[in-house]
Amino acid sequence: MRIAIVGLVIALAFGGYFLLPTPSDPEIPTYQLLQSSGPPEFERVQDPREFSFPRDHGPHLDYRTEWWYYTGNLVAQGGERFGYQLTIFRRGLTPGGTRRESDFATNQIYFGHLALTNVDEGEHVALERFERGSAGLAGASGDPFAVFLGDWSIQSLDETGTQVRLRASDVGFGLDLTLAATKPIVAHGEQGYSIKGGAEGNASYYLSFTNMQTQGSLQIGDRIFEVSGKSWFDHEWGTSALGAQATGWDWFGLQLDDGRELMLFHIRKGDDDGDEQISGGTLVAPNGDARWMTADEFEISPITTWTSELTGTTYPSGWEITIPAEGLELIVEPHVKDQEMRLNLEYWEGAVRVSGSVEGQGYVELTGYSGSMRGLY
Amino acid sequence: MKPLIRAGLRDLIRRPLFSGLMLAGLALGVAVVTAIDLASQSALRAFEVSTATVVGRATHRVVGGPTGVPEGLYIELRAAAGSMQMAPVVEGVVSALDFDERPMRVLGIDIFAEAPFRDQLSPGLVFDPDFQQFFTKPGMAIIGEEFAKANQLAPGAELAVQVNDRLERITVLGIVSTLGSSDVLLMDIAGAQELLGTSGRLTRIDLLADPDSVAALRTQLPPGLRIVSSSEQRDTADQLTSAFRLNLTALSLLALVVGFFLVYNTMTFSVLSRRPVLGILRSLGVTGRQIFAQIVLEAILVGFLGSFIGILFGVLLAHFALGLVTRTINDFYFLLTVREVTLTTSVAVKAIALGVGAGGLASVIPALEAARVPPVQVLRRSDLEQGARVWVPRVGLFGLGLAVAGSALFLLSDNSLPLTFIGILLVILGLALIVPFGTLAFLRLLRPLSSRILWRLAVRGLARQLSRVGIAIAALMVALSVTIGIALMITSFRSTVQNWLDITLYSDIYVSSPAAIGNRPQADLSPSLEARLARLEGVATVEAIRTVQVLGEKGELDLTAVDPRRVRDAGIYRLASGSARQVWDRVRQGAVLISESLEFRYGTTETLVLQTDAGEVTFDVVGIFYDYSSDRGTVLMSRDIYLENWDDPALSSLGVEALPGIDTYKLAESIRAELSGTGLIVHENQQIREEAMRIFDRTFAITQSLRVLAVVVAFIGVLSALLALQLDRRREYATLEAIGLDPEGLEKLTYLETALMGISASLMALPTGLLLALILIHVINVRSFGWTIQLTPAAGPFLQAILVGLVASLAAAVYPVSRLRRMTVAESIRGD
Repeated sequence: MRIAIVGLVIALAFGGYFLLPTPSDPEIPTYQLLQSSGPPEFERVQDPREFSFPRDHGPHLDYRTEWWYYTGNLVAQGGERFGYQLTIFRRGLTPGGTRRESDFATNQIYFGHLALTNVDEGEHVALERFERGSAGLAGASGDPFAVFLGDWSIQSLDETGTQVRLRASDVGFGLDLTLAATKPIVAHGEQGYSIKGGAEGNASYYLSFTNMQTQGSLQIGDRIFEVSGKSWFDHEWGTSALGAQATGWDWFGLQLDDGRELMLFHIRKGDDDGDEQISGGTLVAPNGDARWMTADEFEISPITTWTSELTGTTYPSGWEITIPAEGLELIVEPHVKDQEMRLNLEYWEGAVRVSGSVEGQGYVELTGYSGSMRGLY
Repeated sequence: MKPLIRAGLRDLIRRPLFSGLMLAGLALGVAVVTAIDLASQSALRAFEVSTATVVGRATHRVVGGPTGVPEGLYIELRAAAGSMQMAPVVEGVVSALDFDERPMRVLGIDIFAEAPFRDQLSPGLVFDPDFQQFFTKPGMAIIGEEFAKANQLAPGAELAVQVNDRLERITVLGIVSTLGSSDVLLMDIAGAQELLGTSGRLTRIDLLADPDSVAALRTQLPPGLRIVSSSEQRDTADQLTSAFRLNLTALSLLALVVGFFLVYNTMTFSVLSRRPVLGILRSLGVTGRQIFAQIVLEAILVGFLGSFIGILFGVLLAHFALGLVTRTINDFYFLLTVREVTLTTSVAVKAIALGVGAGGLASVIPALEAARVPPVQVLRRSDLEQGARVWVPRVGLFGLGLAVAGSALFLLSDNSLPLTFIGILLVILGLALIVPFGTLAFLRLLRPLSSRILWRLAVRGLARQLSRVGIAIAALMVALSVTIGIALMITSFRSTVQNWLDITLYSDIYVSSPAAIGNRPQADLSPSLEARLARLEGVATVEAIRTVQVLGEKGELDLTAVDPRRVRDAGIYRLASGSARQVWDRVRQGAVLISESLEFRYGTTETLVLQTDAGEVTFDVVGIFYDYSSDRGTVLMSRDIYLENWDDPALSSLGVEALPGIDTYKLAESIRAELSGTGLIVHENQQIREEAMRIFDRTFAITQSLRVLAVVVAFIGVLSALLALQLDRRREYATLEAIGLDPEGLEKLTYLETALMGISASLMALPTGLLLALILIHVINVRSFGWTIQLTPAAGPFLQAILVGLVASLAAAVYPVSRLRRMTVAESIRGD
């Protein structure tokens, strides 16, 4: 449930990117641009469709935005607990590929977010990077499935793409993990067609490996931790998703100890807005069967809030989730309160623990709390 | 003191004409110095700004040979470099066909690697969906706001550009303020590669790194590539142009020297004419020291005022000078656009210091004279004049000593350019001090020539007034000798270059791209052109020429790779081992020839180490050749050897030799027809020669202007001296008139006197000018640029100087004569 984030991130990230304070303190430039002939003709997500793997793990260049999103909770041999996030986003400028003389020529922009949470130390670090999707600087392929952004990479270890190796590092921290899906791929919504907004075409194709056995190592400073645990993989693409009134969203990806996984999303709207709120979810059974849930089947109630000292933003920081039909009454709490992604787009994404009728773990994403996203995308 | 100063100033105000002339002379001197200083600094600053646009905050850059850096290296380094920030850059020069083929710099960047380096692109641009065309469409460029305004370019406008041997169109995608007025076409790196035809290659990789990481990276670089720091880059620009700029500065100081004489002249006159007042003051108890201080203070005040006026005028003048300076820098050094002249504090302070210093210094001797006025000698005025017999030889001797010391200084100072200039300044000052002596000797020679009363009056009158007249003559002499020296140097240089062109411009027809900056070709022409032209009817041979910049042990130098088939004429060698044939055989085998300037930079050397694509290679040097196309030095090698060492098959230009009996005009036409659509320029031999001489003349335009300005200052000097003379001699004139000399006779006397002044200055300027020319040719030129110039004896500059001296002095007499006419006898005698 993160389709909208891409548009936003790309806009804000680039904006912020160039607004970063620089040693020379440049004056803000003024500019004037050629009027273009209109938006490029990307395809829109309007119907359910058939998928074929590993091809559909790869990029879909006829759609504007796409991402590969890995999150997980890991435990080191010494018992230390960690959360991680590695996301690579793709943004197409025009549909399809390019055929030009220069290797640098591209119509694809890739950017990524990398974050680590040290649960026991209560620490969280995050950073981002950008690259053009050409000349071997960044790119993606379906067969074999691979996505890379500089030296950050997602690489499949088998022909179908159910096993992958993640490698990403930067100043001070990094990860090198091997992930293997233990359940078949989940197609959210109607066979992967996930409606995100009222208007036609405001939707995405949304696929997940909700349970991936994970092993590898994490590096924090000079220390290396051999870790193992569970990861969650989201792959989502589309051309536009959110309605104009959406101010932000909450997303939950929970892995329960009884072998089930639960994905819930909730798109928030402004107070003055009477439109129906859009929510939905998927419950994956231990055998891999997935059931689509509509908004009336579950309830998410924030319990407490947390205010970031650095940005002043207040986020919900604990929830009660009830799904009466499944007999689930869950309490979801962050492992670390401060898992704010202080990147060019501010949001909160972090490792959580689940208690209540069944225990578990997972990841939560909260956007639009640092200011309304309305009108930005 | 205050009443004294007031009295002094009142005296200056009472003589507005003298004070005005003194002020004008000083101001003009300061203005010339300021203008050259400003132009030279503005050019450097513009270079820094344009470097900042292009280099940004990079601390280092990875660069390679003529074809740059393979892009794969960048990808590799990005993957391996860890935290080091780097950005790929593709640069090139194209010429804008709709704007007088003005060269424009294409700057191709990867926006995602850019943020740490440059600030040209703003958030809004990337927000804007329209901006996406920057990546997705070829030929999209962003230009500076002021540049767009000046050339009336709006987004969507198309620019026709010549790129190498192609004509292309560029679309203005957007306009940003950060690029300002620079001639930069900012493009996506892919678009830039495609436009310039350099896919797969980068011009350089910019780095933002600490010295340790750079050192580590250095060891990983493949041969042929190297890392240079950004400050080195800036220093190079500074060094490249330093000799050129120092020469201009020295020349501009000459104008100030002439101005200095003027102040001296006026102050001396002021003191002389105020002797009665000073005598009274002395008898009233004012000390000599106080009077000294007063005179010097007056001069300093005048210096201040003159400096201010000079600075104002200098800023105006700088706009003119800037064009000339920039032109030369573009012709010889690097691409530069300068439109702004900004007065900096340092330039202003320098100008004021020079003006005040010159004023103060020039007044010391008159002030000493004034301080020595004894109270009793109130009414005697010709003390100084009577002393002339004593001081003239003394000053002359002192001048001789100064000239000898100056000569010793520049002869012994080896290659230090500033010391050389100081030495020459001393020589000029010394020779100027000999002028009164020379004038006296000259007048003595003239005396017996005629027994007419007017002649005797004029000759004797001048001799008696030597303290004033001598200085004016000296000023005129200095200005004229500078004129002669510079003109002779330029004439000699010009004919040397012409001879050289005769030898080197061998082909009948030349083909080149308009994307050349001055005399440096910037294009990469397709190697297939050689065969294409060779097939044409009437073509005997086609010679491919490649001109690039490569790195030697002491920085960048020009390399010209030529067709080895044709043996070079012996006339191009200044020094070679063996006959022309033998030398060329060795060049064919891999040896190189170096130009004089290169020899000047590297010293006489047997071998030369060049950075090739395969790393450092040592080449044997078999000769030194004359070359005036570059002052950083040129290596000449066989193109076969060049291709062995550099993977760069492109051409810079082509020479075509016609078969005997073929009309080269018609052949040029058929080549033009063959090359239509490429935008390449086809020149016949004569046209190339003319173009070369046009660049030559352009280079010396500023020198010529400075020369004229020195004469203008000298003219003011003569005028002021004459006025002083006339005023001082009013009583004498009146007496002459009273005893029967008619007004016409008086006018004749004046003209005769001034003509004698002009002639004596001109005569003394002849040997001095010749000496200056010799120094300029054999010392300054060699020490600045390393060029050999054959002194061409030409009467022109000498005759011109005599004419200018005569005309200047006669013209200067016009106003005094008109004053004489208005003077009545009685008034003059009474007024005394």
